[in-house]
Amino acid sequence: MKSSLQRKTGHTVDWLGFAPFLLFCLAFEIVPIIFLLRGSFIEKTTHQFTIQHYLDLQRPLYINSFINSIKLSGLTAIIGMIIGTFIGYAIYHWPSERVREALITLSDVTTNFAGAPLAFAFVVILGMNGVITQFMLQYFNYDLYPKFSIYSFSGLILAYVYFQLPLMVLLILPAFAGIKKEWQESAQSLGADTLQFWWRIGIPVLIPSLIAGLTLLFANAFGAYATAYTLVQAKLSLVTLQIGYMIAGEVRQDQAVGMAMAIGSLFIMGLSIGIYQAATLRTRRWSKS
Amino acid sequence: MSYLELKNINKSYAGVAAVHDFNLDIEKGSLVSFLGPSGCGKTTTLRMIAGFEQLDSGTIRLDGSDIVPVPPNRRDIGMVFQAYALFPNLTVRENIAFGLQMKKTPKKETEKRVNEVLDMVRLQDTAKRFPHQLSGGQQQRIALARALAVQPRVLLLDEPLSALDAEVRVVLRGEIRRIQSELAITTVYVTHDQEEALSISDKVVVMNKGLIEQIGTPEEIYRAPMSRFVATFIGTANQFLGKTSGKNKVLCNNVELLTGDLNGFEEGQAVVVLVRPENVQVQSDKPQQKNWNIVPGGIETITFHGAVTRLGVNVNGQRVVADITVANTQPVSLNQKIWLMFPPDACQVMAAEE
Amino acid sequence: MAKSRSTPFHVPNKKIRPAGWQVFLVGFFLFYMLVPIISTYVFSVATRWDRTILPEGYTLEFYQRAFDASYFTITLRNSLILSLATVLVSLLVIVPTVYWVHTRLAGAKPLLDILMILPFGIPTVVLALALVQVYNFSPLARSPFLLIGAVVIYSMPFMYRPVANAIQAIDAHVMTEAGQSLGANVFQVLSKIIIPNILPGILSGSLLVFATVFAEYTLTSLIVGARFKTFPLLLVEFTRINGNVASAFSVISFTIAWLVSILILWVGSKGQVAKTKAIRTG
Repeated sequence: MKSSLQRKTGHTVDWLGFAPFLLFCLAFEIVPIIFLLRGSFIEKTTHQFTIQHYLDLQRPLYINSFINSIKLSGLTAIIGMIIGTFIGYAIYHWPSERVREALITLSDVTTNFAGAPLAFAFVVILGMNGVITQFMLQYFNYDLYPKFSIYSFSGLILAYVYFQLPLMVLLILPAFAGIKKEWQESAQSLGADTLQFWWRIGIPVLIPSLIAGLTLLFANAFGAYATAYTLVQAKLSLVTLQIGYMIAGEVRQDQAVGMAMAIGSLFIMGLSIGIYQAATLRTRRWSKS
Repeated sequence: MSYLELKNINKSYAGVAAVHDFNLDIEKGSLVSFLGPSGCGKTTTLRMIAGFEQLDSGTIRLDGSDIVPVPPNRRDIGMVFQAYALFPNLTVRENIAFGLQMKKTPKKETEKRVNEVLDMVRLQDTAKRFPHQLSGGQQQRIALARALAVQPRVLLLDEPLSALDAEVRVVLRGEIRRIQSELAITTVYVTHDQEEALSISDKVVVMNKGLIEQIGTPEEIYRAPMSRFVATFIGTANQFLGKTSGKNKVLCNNVELLTGDLNGFEEGQAVVVLVRPENVQVQSDKPQQKNWNIVPGGIETITFHGAVTRLGVNVNGQRVVADITVANTQPVSLNQKIWLMFPPDACQVMAAEE
Repeated sequence: MAKSRSTPFHVPNKKIRPAGWQVFLVGFFLFYMLVPIISTYVFSVATRWDRTILPEGYTLEFYQRAFDASYFTITLRNSLILSLATVLVSLLVIVPTVYWVHTRLAGAKPLLDILMILPFGIPTVVLALALVQVYNFSPLARSPFLLIGAVVIYSMPFMYRPVANAIQAIDAHVMTEAGQSLGANVFQVLSKIIIPNILPGILSGSLLVFATVFAEYTLTSLIVGARFKTFPLLLVEFTRINGNVASAFSVISFTIAWLVSILILWVGSKGQVAKTKAIRTG
């Protein structure tokens, strides 16, 4: 009894073993973020408290950055969630285990293929002279450009969905595994048909996983930088791109506005990760029974 | 006239027979158990009755009509699974009401039925909870209530107690039997636990490798096993291999046994003699009974089982077990030389091949 | 947990074909995932591929030019230094902490979990901004050391999950007590029992961190930039200078990612073998 209680709370000495890691996190993550938060409320010359930096975010450039970022993340998260769920279902019920495992491995690898190489791969296929662009032009006599452009919002959506899809597949597969065959059979023996089962049991059971997937995908896209940086540069303003410009000193903006922007994006990310956590907790509680 | 009738049922998976020429008549209102080791085909048979497995050939008639072409959701058969299978997103009340709603039962009546079955399983106060807030035993009671709420024609239970603790198992099997007899609902109960099957069934169907070994009341199954498999799968039995000799004798490697009449056996036929341990008595001095089997041996193991003590006795190199009650025997000790005795009618003789 | 069902026959028939809708969805998925990659591979060896469906000819010229590019060896070296240093720091900071929390300090588990999720909630640009703002003095300011700190934080979850799973799987708490009751000291318990048993987890984590950091662009470009140019920075630079050479760089980058994934799979299967062996002999 006593030893288990000790293990739970820990002696002061035991906490010392945790200290190096905690210090590392404080030094390279938590304290800098706190300074960032503080900086976003401080007037640069007078060192007085101010909310002016947040008011400055109302300028069209910043407002647009937030709107674009949210639109891009939201849209690719929804597309990724819906299509990813169906693909996940197809993979989950694929008869051959080897094919299933191969597809899961593929998802594992491709979801990490974000950034510059991926952006460039999309230029190769969908750029002005890309493979698919050429293919469409020669076989269907249809020019994707200028309606579509890989260097624009529509192009970014295609590139983002590339890493969103496999991420959703990976997130939803355990959820399908969690829908037990016995539930389906119970429902059937109680008189339900397939549609009634999915409507009353299957989909409600999946919903926490779908919400968790949606929010994680949203956060995943919202924080992305390298893909967008490589593809659109200054043609489209996104929150992460704006913050990046401020660090690099490429734009002559007040640094404090950048901090306010960073805190704003932290808030949005925190919200989605929080919802993700809550949803995941619920799926765990259900799968327990 | 039987209520549920299974005729010439065959089912195989990838060429391996899971159920072979299965024939069974179940009377209305009775509880029949399918008992056997895993892989014997008992669950497959149950799932064919439920409609979750297709038969290769044969018929299943319920109340006179063929149900094989009927999809599972129209069969009006209640099912309880080993893993509870309660819907996690619905409360207990909603779980139980599910089947009634599928049947478009009016709201008021649904409410009434739900309360009735909750009363029946004595869990009225859990109505608003979710499955994950209940213990395993409670969940299984709710699963039973859910299956009963729609007043099915037949209730199927697939190893309903296997996932529960020993104590809960004993209580719950009594509950199942009580509710089953109260409702007089025709029930098929699948289990691999012989004690469970013997204690709650009207009839037990012992299965092995897709075949029915024996059908009978629990008493018949225990007292008069018709095959070596049944005799050894249910309870414990000492086995003596030997050859018949004369009208009532079997010559074994190490002993000579007096048995009942050996009508139907040829002279010198290879047979097995089965003797239940509780029929073997132990004496420290040589007993004088006439026409009993009396053999000497040495005690090798003594295991205390509560009501009885089980002795492992070496009889000319063969291990024979005997159950003795402390009340009517003198104390025994390891390596003690003793005498075992059992009457001829305690010996069951069956042909040795198979 | 429920015991195994009484029908061992529930093996689905191997000859069952996938349904049409499955083939369609999986086909679409494969198309989406593979076409950009394969095209990049082909593009990197194509002489010219902007007027025709198939390349007009094939050449290894762009790899030649990629390897000759000034900076190529330097950036590759820098990337290796950064990745290896990060793996090392991760191992030193995270593995002992996870072990400590699991065996001695269960009360810190929730805190550890939160700290490990935190990096997911912080966009890399925000982390870069925060670090650049606070550490604006030498020798840290915009130095590779600051960068290593940042990428360790950023890649932390990749090390944590495999290591924590491994430690949980071997029941490190019980193993430690068993070892100690047999007279081993903490050091012996670690070197003889714990580390050999969680090695597959440590290796998977290290490989994941290595691959992640090797491809890292945002933190590197924003914290140190041209002062410590890594491979991804060179790649982005070349997407603006020469597409063919950039495609050769992309191929190198993809190939490293594939290789590391295969290695992780291999390590994972080794781990399972080790586990079953341990059960058989124990």
